[in-house]
Amino acid sequence: MDKAKKLLKNIRLFFSYRELLFNLSNREISQRYKQSVLGYAWVILNPLFQLLVLTFVFSTIFKVASFNVPYIIFLIVGLLPWNFFAASLSSAANALVNNSSLVTKIYFPREILVYSTIIAKIVDFLYSCIVLVFFFMFYKVGITYHIVWVIPIFIIQLIFTAGLSLLLASFNLFYRDIQYLLSLIVSLWFYLTPVIYPVEQFPEKYRWIFAINPMSVITNAYRQVVLSGGEPNLKSLGVALLTSLILFIVSFLIFKKNEGEFADYV
Amino acid sequence: MIKAENLSKQYSITKQRTFKEFLPALLGGHDTVSNFLALSHLNFEIQKGESLGILGKNGSGKSTLLKIIAGVTKPSDGRITVVGKVAPLIELGAGFHPELTGKENVYLNGSILGIKKKHMDKLYNNIVRFAELEEFMDEPVKHYSSGMYMRLAFSVAVAEKPDILLVDEILAVGDIKFQQKCLDRIKEFQMMGSTLILVTHNPDQIGTYCQKALVLDNGKQIYYGEVNEGVEKYKNILS
Repeated sequence: MDKAKKLLKNIRLFFSYRELLFNLSNREISQRYKQSVLGYAWVILNPLFQLLVLTFVFSTIFKVASFNVPYIIFLIVGLLPWNFFAASLSSAANALVNNSSLVTKIYFPREILVYSTIIAKIVDFLYSCIVLVFFFMFYKVGITYHIVWVIPIFIIQLIFTAGLSLLLASFNLFYRDIQYLLSLIVSLWFYLTPVIYPVEQFPEKYRWIFAINPMSVITNAYRQVVLSGGEPNLKSLGVALLTSLILFIVSFLIFKKNEGEFADYV
Repeated sequence: MIKAENLSKQYSITKQRTFKEFLPALLGGHDTVSNFLALSHLNFEIQKGESLGILGKNGSGKSTLLKIIAGVTKPSDGRITVVGKVAPLIELGAGFHPELTGKENVYLNGSILGIKKKHMDKLYNNIVRFAELEEFMDEPVKHYSSGMYMRLAFSVAVAEKPDILLVDEILAVGDIKFQQKCLDRIKEFQMMGSTLILVTHNPDQIGTYCQKALVLDNGKQIYYGEVNEGVEKYKNILS
């Protein structure tokens, strides 16, 4: 009962600071590109070149199967959400450390720092979808109304990302090695998620890896609803949602429990 | 109102900040943390509208006490009760970002202090006038001189009357004229019933602005009470 009251108080406090959330996200977005010549164009140019190189390597050199769509279309549907995931984690890991001057001076709910970096990455992600729209139009890829499934899938991805980010941000404060460990793990994780290849090409006896990897379920679900125009596998998506929710709640509680000590360690 | 009862703060300092250092120490059975008592057993009470000066040498725990009052860190023992909205004026401009314009920074800093945008729209002109930066608000603050930077930060911090104002070693803000303006503003707040918590090395400032003094030495409370006697005790420590 006492715990529930405390949680309610925390949530109310968070809402009273919602303007700060948007101002910090805005700061994150505008500071990054203010000094560069091409500005926000980098958000589009980056995935574009990444796509071209990966497509060349995996469809021309390695000849990875992509079923009935061009490989670049197959790739882009998995790659853009993955980029959002990876970029969110690496910026969230440093969210508290980079704002040490705020953390040690003024009280506000600290999770705002983590959420604001994720919001900035969502904006990047949406801009990068321009590339996707361009290639879909170029190859005249048809979509069906099942595309609306993208929204719930994205929400599941968001919950999973936020949960992991909260955990990483607080641990990185106590041990700065987390950020280096993270870049290693994310690059390995990329290869163990069916982003550049279809699940079907993965040896059957290792496929259990995908079952315990929510990002793989999410990537597959995106492909199913965008490319195959069907419903996603609801059972595995449900498991992913449940895993993500549990992860988020546990991470949030850990984050809140340690919050009082952040200023001492930063 | 602020009330400290048996307030203590112990920092546990992790000796090893990286795995490379931490793992061998853990396996070798060495200590991984050492404890450091930054504040021990403080007791004081300040009523609404009263002001407190905190005196002490460097490293005596003054800034830690301000952090506890600001709610940034928790006491490890004892209790602190703070009633009212706290405005920290510690290290001005903590929330500023060099690439953003003066105007953007004012709104950003305002929201860090918990001021809503609608309300900030009303305060904005006053802030700019107080900072005397009318022509520079659309410039990124990285082009500001450090004096301009401080003036803007101070103006945002004192835009609204706080219940409790925390001031750490201030008032190296801008020229003497601006400093006086800041002090006047602080005095004005005090008249309107704000509590001022002032940390300084300058006993004269305490005499001018505070009714109560707290003297700290190595985290211990040497004295709490009237200002004049507090200043005497502080001078004793120094000599």
